[in-house]
Amino acid sequence: MFKETPTTNETETVIGPSVKVEGDFATEGNIIIQGIICGTVKTSKNLRVGPKSKIFASVSAENALISGEIQGNVRVKDKLELTSTAKIYGDIKVGTLIIAGGAILNGKCQVGNAKDKTTKPDFSKQEKIELAPQTKTATKKTTTKKK
Amino acid sequence: MYYYLYDSRLGDKKYHNTIAKIETRLTDLGINGKINRLSFLKNINQILTEEIKRGVKTIVIVGDDKTIGQVLNIVKELNATIGIIPVGNDNNIAKLLGIPYGEQACDTISSRLVTKLDLGNINNYSFLTSLEIGGKNISLECDGSYVINLEGGENIINIGNLNCCFQEFADPLDGKLDIYVENKKRRIIGKNKYSLSHFVNKTIRVTGKKTLPIFITDEKKIVKTPATITVEPKKIKVIVGKGRYF
Repeated sequence: MFKETPTTNETETVIGPSVKVEGDFATEGNIIIQGIICGTVKTSKNLRVGPKSKIFASVSAENALISGEIQGNVRVKDKLELTSTAKIYGDIKVGTLIIAGGAILNGKCQVGNAKDKTTKPDFSKQEKIELAPQTKTATKKTTTKKK
Repeated sequence: MYYYLYDSRLGDKKYHNTIAKIETRLTDLGINGKINRLSFLKNINQILTEEIKRGVKTIVIVGDDKTIGQVLNIVKELNATIGIIPVGNDNNIAKLLGIPYGEQACDTISSRLVTKLDLGNINNYSFLTSLEIGGKNISLECDGSYVINLEGGENIINIGNLNCCFQEFADPLDGKLDIYVENKKRRIIGKNKYSLSHFVNKTIRVTGKKTLPIFITDEKKIVKTPATITVEPKKIKVIVGKGRYF
């Protein structure tokens, strides 16, 4: 998902460790966060959060790789990967979730596509099955002879 | 019709040979025209307006980056195509546009590969390449939606339209400006720590705790904060070379 040497010419936003961003941060390209963000973060592409970064914001992305701290809700359309240093304090809603050992997740978690669930059948439309009435009859005792 | 604006320093003896070769080549290609030397005594705006009324469609600037920066602010509103013949030492704009040095640039002018480029604007002053800001405690308000605060360490900010910075090229056709922020944290023991950030925006407002100088790379001019930086998409028509990076 995230390559060391990107070959595409897509716009990539990098927020370095010395930078603090406040407000609604929205872009159409990939985002790499190593600093501090307060507000909202939105992208239609990939998001990577570094191990020393802190986000006090709601986050929305197509795919995400989280190694830092997020205090806010996270919404990822496709794949969300939490590494061992990831800390999320908020609700998450993702397509696919990968959690490494040591990651902290404190909030509600919704994984998978809501459209995949099967619909509950409507029993009210089914025809009623009428059971035959029980009549009292003499029962014959049968014995089997041992050979 | 072509109109040639020469930098005033080209009257120097060391440029005589180069200028003679350029003028010969222009005549051979059939694109020679009226020549005017820039001078602080002349009202270039008035002269160019009159020449365009007479039918001049291409204004060719013969000189370096500083000459281009000076003429750009006059020519941008005249709806003419700009050509460049780089002569002198500082020719970064010509390199980025793929225009060769000296006499060979005449063939580029003759080929007329015209592209509409974005033009940056800082406090109503236009620039083509980039701006540089240095200092501490700087705030950049971007597109009116978020603020970038740079605290701690020394920051060098490069805001580029047509530019190569940290081996990354800015796109002069996308209607946006590329912001590169390099932060240096000095350490008493060990190596200094560097970090790089990159943003892409249309409007930027630069403020700081103190008044900071902003250096316009084209004309080597300084503007002070607070400053509002915008981009005018596809503002000027420029003849570019095949070796351009975009």
